[in-house]
Amino acid sequence: MSDFGEAMSISASGMKAQAARLRHVSENIANTDTPGYRRKVISFEEIVNLGRPTGEVAAGPVRLDQAQLKQIYDPAHPLADDGGYYSGSNVNLLIEIADAREAQRSYEANLKMFDQVRQMSSALLDLLRR
Amino acid sequence: MYNSLDLFQTAGAMARNAGARQAVVARNIANADTPGYQAQATAAFKDVYANGAIGAMRTTRPGHIGGNGDQPRIEMQKTTVGEPSPNGNTVSIDVEMLNSAEITREYDQALAIYRHAMTVLRTSLGRG
Repeated sequence: MSDFGEAMSISASGMKAQAARLRHVSENIANTDTPGYRRKVISFEEIVNLGRPTGEVAAGPVRLDQAQLKQIYDPAHPLADDGGYYSGSNVNLLIEIADAREAQRSYEANLKMFDQVRQMSSALLDLLRR
Repeated sequence: MYNSLDLFQTAGAMARNAGARQAVVARNIANADTPGYQAQATAAFKDVYANGAIGAMRTTRPGHIGGNGDQPRIEMQKTTVGEPSPNGNTVSIDVEMLNSAEITREYDQALAIYRHAMTVLRTSLGRG
């Protein structure tokens, strides 16, 4: 039974991590047109408890993408410099959409695992029912 | 069968093995996007059985020969299926899904054997 509990909590941690990733993706997409916005990226890491990896996964610290900000020419913009340029965000919508899709697929895989383990444990409990 | 009820023990061990392997698959899938994570696997029940870990002489104390507790140890090993992705991750979700389906089948099989043996016992007691 403890194996099932472990498997379920690992799948739940995977879903939580993917949801956190999806949250940052939506944040990036929402700020596509914010001047000076750098896209946020997170990376996943294994949770280690007492020096032993538990197998659970967590979203790591947020880092800012250090890619160059896009220079936009618009002399009428309040932030424009002497040459008429201001810096926009470095969000690339194509990358964000691909990232969101990947997060969705991984989330589904975790959900499927969770469901399968749940079915197995309820089949075990069915043995007691007769 | 009625002398030792080995069938129940074997079916139980098979279900336990399937549960442990399912936990490993869950761990692999949860870490499918973790950089540097290497996919892991444990031995299938038929290999554990062939090595004689189940149904061998019972070790009831840690001091007994070959004894490390009553449960057979489940060894983890790293698997390499195909090329690792650029961030060093070797998990392939489709392979894991396949494994998980196979493990569920094996688990259902073990439970069916257990249930059937129980029915036989019940019938012989006249409570069919």
